[in-house]
Amino acid sequence: MDFRNMFIFDPLSKLIGVFIVLFTVLISIYSAKFIKHRKITYYIWVLLTALASFGVIFSDNLILITIFWGFLGLSLFKLINLYDDEKASAIAKKTFIIIGATDGFLLFGFLLYHFLTSSMSLSANKLIINNNLSFISFIFIAMACFAKAGCMPLHTWIPETAKNAPLPVVAYLPASLDKLLGIYLLVRIVKDSFFLDVTAKFTLIIIGAITVICAVMMALIQHDIKKLLGYHAISQVGYMVLGIGCATPLGIAAGLFHMINHAIYKCCLFLDAGNVENETGTSELHNLGGLARYMPITFITFMVAAFSISGVPPFNGFVSKWMIYQGLSDFMNSLSSYPLKIIVALSLLSALVGSGLTLASFLKVISSVFLGNARKHAKESSFALLLPVIILALLCIIFGVFAYSTILKFITQAIGSFNMVGLWQPVGATALIAISIVIGLIVFKFSSQKLRVSDTYTGGEELNPKEEAKIEDFYATISEIPFLKKIYSLAEAKVFDIYEELKRIIFVLSNVLKRLHNGILPTYLTWCLIGIMGLFFVFFR
Amino acid sequence: MLKIVTQYLIFPGIIFSFFVGAMGFWLERKFTARFQYRVGPPWYQNFIDVMKLFLKETIIPRNAAKTLFITSPIINLAAVILVSVMLANNYFLNISFMGDVIVILYLLVIPSLFTILGALSSKNPLALVGAARETKLMLAYEFVFITSLIIAIIKSGNSIMLANITATQILSKPNIASASGIIAFILALFYAQAKLCIVPFDMAEAEQEIMAGTVIEYSGPLLGFYKISKLMLYFSLPLFIISLFIKVHTQSTLLKYLIFFCLYILIIFIMSVIKNINPRMRIKDALGFFWFWLLPLGILGIVLAQFGL
Repeated sequence: MDFRNMFIFDPLSKLIGVFIVLFTVLISIYSAKFIKHRKITYYIWVLLTALASFGVIFSDNLILITIFWGFLGLSLFKLINLYDDEKASAIAKKTFIIIGATDGFLLFGFLLYHFLTSSMSLSANKLIINNNLSFISFIFIAMACFAKAGCMPLHTWIPETAKNAPLPVVAYLPASLDKLLGIYLLVRIVKDSFFLDVTAKFTLIIIGAITVICAVMMALIQHDIKKLLGYHAISQVGYMVLGIGCATPLGIAAGLFHMINHAIYKCCLFLDAGNVENETGTSELHNLGGLARYMPITFITFMVAAFSISGVPPFNGFVSKWMIYQGLSDFMNSLSSYPLKIIVALSLLSALVGSGLTLASFLKVISSVFLGNARKHAKESSFALLLPVIILALLCIIFGVFAYSTILKFITQAIGSFNMVGLWQPVGATALIAISIVIGLIVFKFSSQKLRVSDTYTGGEELNPKEEAKIEDFYATISEIPFLKKIYSLAEAKVFDIYEELKRIIFVLSNVLKRLHNGILPTYLTWCLIGIMGLFFVFFR
Repeated sequence: MLKIVTQYLIFPGIIFSFFVGAMGFWLERKFTARFQYRVGPPWYQNFIDVMKLFLKETIIPRNAAKTLFITSPIINLAAVILVSVMLANNYFLNISFMGDVIVILYLLVIPSLFTILGALSSKNPLALVGAARETKLMLAYEFVFITSLIIAIIKSGNSIMLANITATQILSKPNIASASGIIAFILALFYAQAKLCIVPFDMAEAEQEIMAGTVIEYSGPLLGFYKISKLMLYFSLPLFIISLFIKVHTQSTLLKYLIFFCLYILIIFIMSVIKNINPRMRIKDALGFFWFWLLPLGILGIVLAQFGL
């Protein structure tokens, strides 16, 4: 047996490897202050997670990948359930069932892949999707990626994990590492293992488009900052899947770039939310406010990351989203059938609209946590809690403004060369904006010699602090629009949650079985007798 | 280098677009005045308005998040300047400057974004109401404009370069000369109306009920920055619409400018008519109008555009 063929060290896995190291180091620094009990257990599982992640990205053997992938599910379970409290263990169970079930899918997909190509390696030869078996194989592997990355319809473990698990765990696994790994495997199979046909491409594109819109609509009405971020972690996966679904070098590169960007800014957002929660003791938007004055660094880094995720130029989220739009418009150009063209155009619409909704929901968070009237007094977090977010916020700016000269070079190496079909010169544009701002500030300095601080102007009415408008109810109007109201109430009842639906079906089935187990001996004996009679009938008739 | 600086600063950059925008706003005021049987302001009114603001003192509310309060109007203006320069360079000099239509779409979000952040940082309850309205309205009009932009992209053979969109129109016919083009043009007009905060979509600044809402706490030079950026938007939004949908090819330069100014005045006139025959909408009605009437219309336009209609 040759062990050298079992591993792969190409630019793609090395690129992902670098980011796994980065996130592990940053989270370790952060957790040193944040995690107060069971530190040793925590760090052991974090390191094992990092190790298993390296296993996934550097192995090329189907069985090895499955083993490491399965181990990641276990470590996720142990980390979510770190403190053994009731809510966390319930959600850890749910996560483990979803991830475990899709591990089964992965195994099944790999089995079919091996059956069709008769190779144990993912990148040895490319399988053309031309019949049902190869399509099923692709979809089952993709399902495992979706569950890991948190794409609809297997997303339901993320929002609740985000709310109940220890915060560094959320920032480490669902927000960054699981995205890196899930999307890595998707990129790997799209790039090296399969030639996608139209059905496969459009399955990905439609799933991506639906994920973007639905998840962000859910995020819009959340009241808990961590749960809100969890929904955004789902919505952003939609963009990556959209890009990768095009299966062109530009689209895959865009998806990969967006995945890296997402890991950076989402990690930063979660850690900032952790800082806020650590200082104030709550993550409910209703109880927060006016923290900009007390926690300036947290505020600025949160704002940078929030602008990145909403795709405000010149930050990194904009560049990758812009590449995804290009990938889609380029892909649309290569199609000839009208219905398919319309689907791509509508996906482009949903991606652009989703980015607007993202911005809107982050405006809500920024304003209700950091602006407005202070409801709690707090002080800035300690250096160990701030260092990771500062580094991540800087990365947001660097990967945005200097995208072409830094990260895109490595992505080109990993994916192959591609041409941009649009135009965006981030350095020049940022310089112009910066110059304008500096000139503006100088003009302001010179023209406003007379500066006066005064009370808030309310037009003569008394200012009653108790009756202030609540910023977190910004979007109440939206959830009151008749059509959306219905959908929201269904979503609150978890009708769209596959896990909950399956649970309901299983309960119905087990209720039938429960009737049989009434604990009375004659009943069991009757069943045994019927069974034996059946066997006799089959074998001796 | 000198050329770029001239392009950026004078023509067709900052000074040109500010001047045209100020004249456009004046035209709008004049039209409105005539609708109401008034005389209306003289042509230099907007310039002296802005000038006066830079001579006044600045008042900062005591509880405001000061840095954000001061920088918001400046960032707002910086983004608007960049957009205006990009659009004007493309239209008048045929130069692709800094970015494509998606970049412009995203840059155009920055002014609204920092208007809202500036309002929120002032901690004024009325500004808060204005900001909440502006956010919701932004959701409404941006989506509608996105559909209109996608129609223009499809019409130009799926290119997102502004230069290609105008070039395709010159080669064949203007985008507006088709069913989907007309739909997209109408949607873009409503977008401009709402983006510029003109009645019936001026809930965010509603003077009569929340006293200018988002900008209530601003005064002096800071308000001046807001005014300038608004005046420049009066230039760049109609220009964006014209270059997306009604680019006409002409040989002579004089005719080119003449066509632009005619179209520009026409768009200002249409907006002013809409303004004067409608009352202010409630925010919920506006959302319903944009989402359940205009958005499906835009999707219909996308479908039509894919079939080449």
